[in-house]
Amino acid sequence: MIRLALASLFNRKASAWLTILAIAVSTLLLLGVERVRHQTQENFANTISGTDLIVGARTGSTQLLLSSVFHIGTLNNTLSWQSYEHLQSLRGVAWHIPLALGDSYGEFPVVATTTDFFQYFQYADKQQLRFNEGAAFSHADTAVLGVEVAKRRQLGVNDQFTIAHGSGGISFSDHDAHPFVVSGVLQRTGTPVDQAVYIPLSGLGIVHGEVHGEVSIAADHHDYHEPPVYTLSAVLLGLNSRPLALRMQRDINTYQDEPLSAIMPGLALTELWRTLSLFEKALFAVSILVVATGLLGMLTALLSSLRERRREMAVLRAIGAGPATIFSLLVSEALILAIIGVSLGVAALYTVLGLGSDWLLTNTGILLRATPLTGTEWSFLAAIIAAAFVLSFIPAWRAYRNALADGLTIRL
Amino acid sequence: MTGTCIELKNLEFQWPGATRPLLSIPQFTVQQGERLLLRGASGSGKSTLLSLIAGIHTPKAHQLQVLGHDMGQLSQRQRDNLRANEIGYIFQQFNLLPYLSAQANVLLAEHFSTARRQRIEQSLRASKLSSHKEQARQLLLQLGLSDSDITRPAHQLSVGQQQRVAAARALFGAPALIIADEPTSALDSEHRDSFIQVLFAACQQHNTTLLFVTHDASLAHHFERSIELTELNQVSQESL
Ligand SMILES: Nc1ncnc2c1ncn2[C@@H]1O[C@H](COP(=O)(O)OP(=O)(O)OP(=O)(O)O)[C@@H](O)[C@H]1O
Ligand SMILES: [Mg+2]
Repeated sequence: MIRLALASLFNRKASAWLTILAIAVSTLLLLGVERVRHQTQENFANTISGTDLIVGARTGSTQLLLSSVFHIGTLNNTLSWQSYEHLQSLRGVAWHIPLALGDSYGEFPVVATTTDFFQYFQYADKQQLRFNEGAAFSHADTAVLGVEVAKRRQLGVNDQFTIAHGSGGISFSDHDAHPFVVSGVLQRTGTPVDQAVYIPLSGLGIVHGEVHGEVSIAADHHDYHEPPVYTLSAVLLGLNSRPLALRMQRDINTYQDEPLSAIMPGLALTELWRTLSLFEKALFAVSILVVATGLLGMLTALLSSLRERRREMAVLRAIGAGPATIFSLLVSEALILAIIGVSLGVAALYTVLGLGSDWLLTNTGILLRATPLTGTEWSFLAAIIAAAFVLSFIPAWRAYRNALADGLTIRL
Repeated sequence: MTGTCIELKNLEFQWPGATRPLLSIPQFTVQQGERLLLRGASGSGKSTLLSLIAGIHTPKAHQLQVLGHDMGQLSQRQRDNLRANEIGYIFQQFNLLPYLSAQANVLLAEHFSTARRQRIEQSLRASKLSSHKEQARQLLLQLGLSDSDITRPAHQLSVGQQQRVAAARALFGAPALIIADEPTSALDSEHRDSFIQVLFAACQQHNTTLLFVTHDASLAHHFERSIELTELNQVSQESL
């Protein structure tokens, strides 16, 4: 039976291959979308961990999250150095990381911060930042690069570069007068950290002309007379105990001296993902439709083959094949097409992952790994084959009816 | 070997939707091993009668016996099995799956039939041949095909060669009855005569009953017995 189905399919090579191709492409698309979706969701949730509150000037929580964690968009409002000092003094604050955003190095955002960033910032499952080479910045004119920045600009420790004011590739005013020296390159994190340049606050102050002269890093902290910068974009806070966060959030939101907002990153991330998931669902729906198109293509190919195969059916009937055999012949043909198509689709997925994951990472920042198929993916494949099986009943039933009606007369 | 191969008794057949019966045959018998020519005009119901005998369509009970089975009482599956095991069918044309080789087409005959497979096993033990494939090759050679024809896809063969392959498939595994529905009408007279001769020789060798249908009266001299369908059929042709 299978041999006959194979031989018959082989006879209709062109249409069989096209059908297989359509199924393979739709399988590839479905699995690809699922992978990207899964991976982005994971990457997304992994961008920040261990931070209990993000504080910024009064603004929407999504905007604060996007700019402080993803470095997307600009914050029009800033919070003052005085407010930052107030935050430090709150009871229960274990650590604090000030962030000043808004500059860029080519397409990479520049984040001005303190060395506390390298000590306290955590991502994924409470992972600490580590250095590939070098160490944290130690002078106002030194900088730490995310791994992607170093890789794409081919910068290493002790190399020099200059940053531009404003974000985006087009610089409004180049700070050419103040070149920075790379002091360290971070290890890959799979988060926006990879795409960012980190400089000390004092460095930013000098560049912007807020502070003049050489300021040592130690002055960033307590023992100062004048702050390195007057305004910050956001502050990340780590608390001694997590349950404190809720009360502290309320306290910060109602701070009298300056309008501030505090968000809990986990909650804000979930909220943001929920809005993004509409897009993700649409993408998923489209790939389901593509799979349906592929299967309908198979249905069309099988149905239209029936007309030219009535002769073949009559011959099979003459040598003793029952109508049930004709029925199962068509079902096995559909299954063969679907199984080959799905297998090719999976093979194509791994080829793409193998060859294209570097390209994807550098061009979209999406990290896809050639991990084995997950349970969900297996169930997708099973669903495609099951759908092909069910759909094949239509041509199989037609062939069955024809076989009964035609008998041994060969209609052409 | 003697015995009745086909026996019709008061067979009545009417196509669903037709206004009057097509066939009404009071009595007709074919003996085992007989080679019989059935003649009739186009549209007289020859193919219809053959499809009843071959078990494609169902007559009413007690009207048609084939090899001792009442065709009206067998199930669809039983009739399909009887055809697979004991009946070889040759069409006028397009007998073969065009994408398979001549040999593979012959081997198809045992695809749906355990009985044919068993008989071939037995004859393999009796002869020196080693495989089913080899046996199919021998049969094809016997019917006048060459070794190079045997492995070529069937659609590359001439019509005459295709009919010989069809005959080989019908005979493969030694069924009791061969039904040939105008197998020579696509052949010229020279090929027609040689086809009938090789078919006869093969049938004689296996004591196979041959029911040969044609509208061509000039073939009658090849056959021991030749019958007009109009002689059997009570339904008058004028009223059709
Ligand atoms: N499957 C069918 N359903 C309904 N009517 C049919 C069917 N097959 C044949 N007939 C009718 O039965 C009649 C006899 O057809 P049949 O094919 O048996 O003739 P025939 O003697 O074989 O003719 P020919 O020599 O042209 O092959 C025709 O009138 C035909 O229309
Ligand atoms: Mg006919």
